[in-house]
This record gives sequence, C-alpha cells and structure tokens, in this order.
Amino acid sequence: MALTGRAGLLALIGVLVVGLLLPSWQGILLVLGVLLLCVFVDLLLAGGVRRLTFVRSGASSVRTGELCTVLLTVQNPGRRVRGVLRDAWTPSAGVVADRVLVDVPAGGSRTFSFELRPVRRGDRVSDRVTVRSVGPLGIAARQGSHVVPWTVRALPPFHSRRHLPPLLERLRELDGRRASLIRGAGTEFDSLRAYVIGDDVRSIDWRASARSSDVVVRTWRPERDRQVTIVLDTARTAAGRVFGSLGGLPRLDTSMDAALLLSALASQARDQVDFLAYSNKVRASVPRASLPVLVQAMAPLEAELVEFDARGLVAEVLRRAGRRSLVVLLTSLEPSIEHGLLPLLPALAARHRLLIASVSDPAVHAMASGRGDLESVYAAAAAERTLAERRHLTALLARHDVDVVDALPDDLPRALADRYLSLKAAGKL
Amino acid sequence: MTAVSPDAGRIWTAARGPLLIGVIILFAAIVITLLRGGGEGGSLDPRSYRPEGSHAVAALLEQNGVRVELTDDPSAVDGATLFVPRPNLIDPERLEDLSKRAAATVLLAPAPGMRQVEVDTRQPNCPLAAKAGPATLGGLVYNGEERCYDSTLVRTGTVTTIGFGAIFTNRDLDEEGNAALALTLLGQHERLVWYVPSAADRSQQKEFTDLIPDGWKFAAWQLGIAAVVIALWRARRLGRVVTERLPVVVRAAETVEGRARLYRRSHASAHAASVLRQATRDRLAPLLGLPVGEDQTAEVARRTSRSAERVRTLLYSQEPVDDRGLVALADELDAVENEVRNG
Repeated sequence: MALTGRAGLLALIGVLVVGLLLPSWQGILLVLGVLLLCVFVDLLLAGGVRRLTFVRSGASSVRTGELCTVLLTVQNPGRRVRGVLRDAWTPSAGVVADRVLVDVPAGGSRTFSFELRPVRRGDRVSDRVTVRSVGPLGIAARQGSHVVPWTVRALPPFHSRRHLPPLLERLRELDGRRASLIRGAGTEFDSLRAYVIGDDVRSIDWRASARSSDVVVRTWRPERDRQVTIVLDTARTAAGRVFGSLGGLPRLDTSMDAALLLSALASQARDQVDFLAYSNKVRASVPRASLPVLVQAMAPLEAELVEFDARGLVAEVLRRAGRRSLVVLLTSLEPSIEHGLLPLLPALAARHRLLIASVSDPAVHAMASGRGDLESVYAAAAAERTLAERRHLTALLARHDVDVVDALPDDLPRALADRYLSLKAAGKL
Repeated sequence: MTAVSPDAGRIWTAARGPLLIGVIILFAAIVITLLRGGGEGGSLDPRSYRPEGSHAVAALLEQNGVRVELTDDPSAVDGATLFVPRPNLIDPERLEDLSKRAAATVLLAPAPGMRQVEVDTRQPNCPLAAKAGPATLGGLVYNGEERCYDSTLVRTGTVTTIGFGAIFTNRDLDEEGNAALALTLLGQHERLVWYVPSAADRSQQKEFTDLIPDGWKFAAWQLGIAAVVIALWRARRLGRVVTERLPVVVRAAETVEGRARLYRRSHASAHAASVLRQATRDRLAPLLGLPVGEDQTAEVARRTSRSAERVRTLLYSQEPVDDRGLVALADELDAVENEVRNG
C-alpha cells in the first residue's frame, strides 16, 4: 500500500479541526479514525495490481547513444486501475521518462511506450514494473511490482563509420573499377582489355597484342578472398580510459571502433573476416563475420582484470586459421609484450602476417611536452620513458616483420584501415 | 575537469561581506554598552558606587555593626533581616517561606500594588518611622496593618513593603530622612541578607506549555500525526532502487603519473635528465639525417649557434646538480631541438 498527498492534506485539516473544534484526546482519535477509515475504504476499492499481466515488445538492440522505443502492454482482468506506473531500468539504459500515468479500464488493456537512450555499451536489462493503483478517494493506493524481463543490447556506436566512404573510394581506385584512366594498383592479374589513350604503356601485354588486332593492356586488381583475423584484447590494459574527442573511453571501445571499420572495409574488399575476442581465454568468436553479427558479438564485451595470455592466443590463432591470414591484434603496446608475445612471434609469423594496433594516450603526449616547473619536467621524463618503451617495442616488433599502428584514439580506426589498404595494395596479405 | 567545490579564496570572497557586517554590529553593541554604563544592571547593588547603586547604605550598616551578606541563595535567613530588592523575580511561595523564617523582611515594590503614585518627599504619619521623618517615597501604594508615608510603606507582621527604592540608592541616601529610614528598615537585626535572585530562580516560573491554550496542545499532537502521514507518503518508493555493476574507471595515464611522482619523491633528477636527453636525441636523429645511436654533436653544433663542447655536454653528459638545474636542462634541450627544426 501507499499513501498519497491527499492523506497528508487530510491530516493537516485535522489539525484545524482538533485545534479549533475538538481540543481533546477524543478529537485526535476521531480525526485519526476518519483518516484510517478513508484509507481503508480506498484500499478496498482500488483496482488490484497483483493480477495485472504485462507483455513487452519493441526494440531489442540499439546503437549506443541513439534513441529506441520499448513497448509495455498492460492487461487488466480486474477492476479499473488508475494511478501511476514505473518501468524501472538500470541507470545506464538511459530511460527518458520511466513514469507514466495509467488508467486501464476493467478487462481492458493499454500499451505504453518508453524511450531509451543507452549511455553505455552492453546488455541493458529492465528491472521491475511497479504499479500504484489509487483508490476512488485518492487517499491511499495499492502498490505492487512485477518482473517483466527485457533486454536492450546497446551496440558499439561505430563512430568511425564516417571514414568508410573515402576508404571505399580508395579501395575502388586499387581495384581499377573507378571511372578513371588510372590503372588499378592491385597486384593480381584481372583481365585484358583494349588500350585506350592515357593507359600506362608499361601495362601493354605485347604477347596478347600480337594475337589480336588491337593493342591490349593487362588490368590488375587487388588480392581478394584473403583471410583477415581480427583479435581484440579484452584483458587488463583494455580497461584503461583514454581521453579523446568523445570523452574518456576505455581502450577496448576505441579498439572495437577500429575493428568495426576494418571489418566493414575488408568485407567490401571481399576478404573474409574472422573475429576473436581474447583475454586469458576466448571471450567471443565470430568466424566469417558480417558487420551486423560482429556488432552483436562485440556489444556485451567488457575489459577484465586478468593478464593477457599471449601463448594461449597464438595457439588459438594457429588452431583456427588454416590458411595464411592477416592477424590484426588490437591491444596496447605495453612492456609485457616483450616477454609475452615476442618469443612466440616466430611460430606465428611462419604462417601468418601480424599487424598490431594500439591506442596511444594523448595525455601521455601532453605530459611529455610539459615544461616550466619541476613537477611538469618529472612528468615529462616519465612520459618520455613510456614513449621510449613503446618506440623500442615497435622497433623490436618490426624486426620480426610485424606492422605496428600506434595512434591516438581519434585517429586509430582510420590509421588501421589505411594500413590495411596499403598492405593490400602491396600484395602483402 | 573543473572542481565545483569552493576553495578557500572563494569562501573568503563570499563570506567577507556578512563577516564585516557582523563585526560592525558587535563593535557597535560593545560601544553602546560601554557608553550606557551598564544600565539597570547595578542598581540597588551593595557593591555599586554608581548613583543608582547602594554601596553607601551598605557601608552605613556595616558601621553600625550590621553584617551585610549579598547572596543569590538565602538558605540561612533565620534571625536575620531579609532584603529583597526585586521580589517579582522570585516564586511567591518561596518568598513567603523565606519571609516566615527571617526575623524581618523588606520587600521593594512587589507586584501587585494597589495603585501608582508619584515619587515625592512624604511625611511618615506613623510611629514606625517617626524617628526618620520625611523621606523620598512613592511608586506603588499597598495595604497593610501599619501604613506610613501615604501607604507607600506598610508593615504586616515582620514583613515591610516599600513602594520605591530611592532611599537605598547612593544618589538619594543623603536627602531628607532617607538614611535614617533605610537604617531603621535594614538595621533591625545584626545580620542583613541582601537577596538578589539569580537566573536559576526564574526556572520556577511557569513552563512554556502551561501558557499555551489547551486546544493548541492537542493541535500540536495532531500536527505530529500529520507529519507522520506526510512522511509515509513521501517515504514510499515507486519500486525498488535499481543498482548496476559499472566498469572500473582507470585512466590509462595513471601509471605514467605514478612514475612521475616516484621520480620526484626520490629526486631522480639525473635519471630524468638522461631520459629527456635520450628522447631529444631520438627526435633529432631523423631531423639531422643520422641513424639513431650515432653521435650528433658535430651536426647539432653546426646547425645551432652552440659550441661543440656545449652541445656534447647538453646532449650526452650533463648531470643536473639540483631540481632547478633539471628544469633549465629541459628548457635548453627544447631550445636546441627547435633551433635544429627551424634552422
């Protein structure tokens, strides 16, 4: 049960009654009795909330930060229910307004819509639906809660999708499909066609020209049907927040953004993308990933406070990828790589090509340029030390023929996609 | 990030106005109190030398062999004269009890009198004060067995009631027969208890609740019930509080900041300097077109206006002597790098 403001108002009117008309204990008892009687009558006549039934429908997934609508249908088998309903969600589900006034007639049903704007990636679950059914006097109400489970999966926002059109343009340039006279810069032989003025004379296929009446040129296309294995590190270091233009995001989220852009580009380039999330065991695995499947798989991933198991990862990649592939590891360039991943590189490099992408922290770069007072200079020294470690690691990895993309959070997705395209153009996949 | 809680400066800026006003009020109060000289506070006080005080009469009594005891707790009044300058501040029952025990009691203007008369020189017209003669009396008029000075001084049994206290004050003691009358009244016995009630005596007055009408007492109870009802209304939640497991917030740069603090605490200026020099050399190498690790002294000296010796010290060997030296070294490394970059 619950009381309303009217009950308080009634008790306050009672103060005047007792003070002016009935200044005695009997007066107080009388006022209290009237109040309790009203409450009792109201509770008796209010529509029951226990027997209400609820059905949910509407959105089950939405991009983080965008608006979606979840519907809640209330079926009332008993007396008319009038009052207020609260559909409670976890705070980061971002319900715009979780309370509505309800008036469900006897035997009828009503549908209410709730707007959600999730502020955080992952599965956002609903808590309880609570109905407060007010009696005819409006003094007291019956109240009860129901569990009506529903989950809205907040997908990774994929902010970097705005980079996709220019990247696809570049891909088409590589392909030679663009309406220009520039020869496709790919490395795989595509077909022969008649020479048009402006074509590079070096691409003339003399042997074919001799057989035909026209001058014939060879066209090239980039390699295709290659395998790209994207590995997302979800261990300890992925939890660190790096402050870019979108505010402080965990490294994991920036890595996801980069992985999404890369997989979108790679599938456009007709490469096969496998996705793997790994910390000290496999957290998610999507073979032959398409973008919608990939975002669904990424949504519930969170960074864990465990150490990244490089040995396990290498074993897993070698077990999975049968043929030669580009393994893109989205991790953080930490000194622990030197002891963890580096000794295992020969085994991996024998079968695959490795590309490591790492989110670098603008805060560290800002610290490195700090001067003026002692605190700033010591901070600069510490930051330079960190940067030097990263340069050292990059050099060590390069010696093993590993490509490294170390970029600020705002630049990483684009930088990784660019590196992929240049590897493709060079035929190194 | 901006801290929203106010710092000391902001608190001072916001508080100095009210504080200044408070200080001015306090100062004005002190000045006014000093100028007014205590007001009524010391009147009829046997220790007070001021015009309205009563030191003169107390001294006269002492000379005549009467012991004057100023007290706020007259438990031992038996056989003594009890003088009460402010009887209205004392619980009537207690006053009656005290006057029964005392050999003689003098009350100054207790309420209620019969009527108000003005203060003037009056004739005694009674045997009680015949010796004293005319005196300055007035104030309230009473009814009693023996009435003197137009009923402004009456005696009933051992209790003498006097309508105005001028005869006891330093100012008026030497007028007319005031001194004689005062000595007659207060010097009846060897001991005089001068009873000035303290604040504690007033607690025997009525409670606050005794003074409000019954109706409002019950209304207050009902108000309490209303408060409980309103509290119940406000306290009832519409469903439980929803909790959520949130990811930890760890800034990625925290380890770097921690390392900086460690450097600073251990005054690792030499180490910090070598790290900064290494970083500068790493950045200079591609600018100079030299492989990393090659000696840059000659090339840097050629491009900047510094001597080779100076450049070598700066880039390779200079140990800062103290913290200030480290700051200077960092600035000079920056200057060299900028010169190479721009020159």
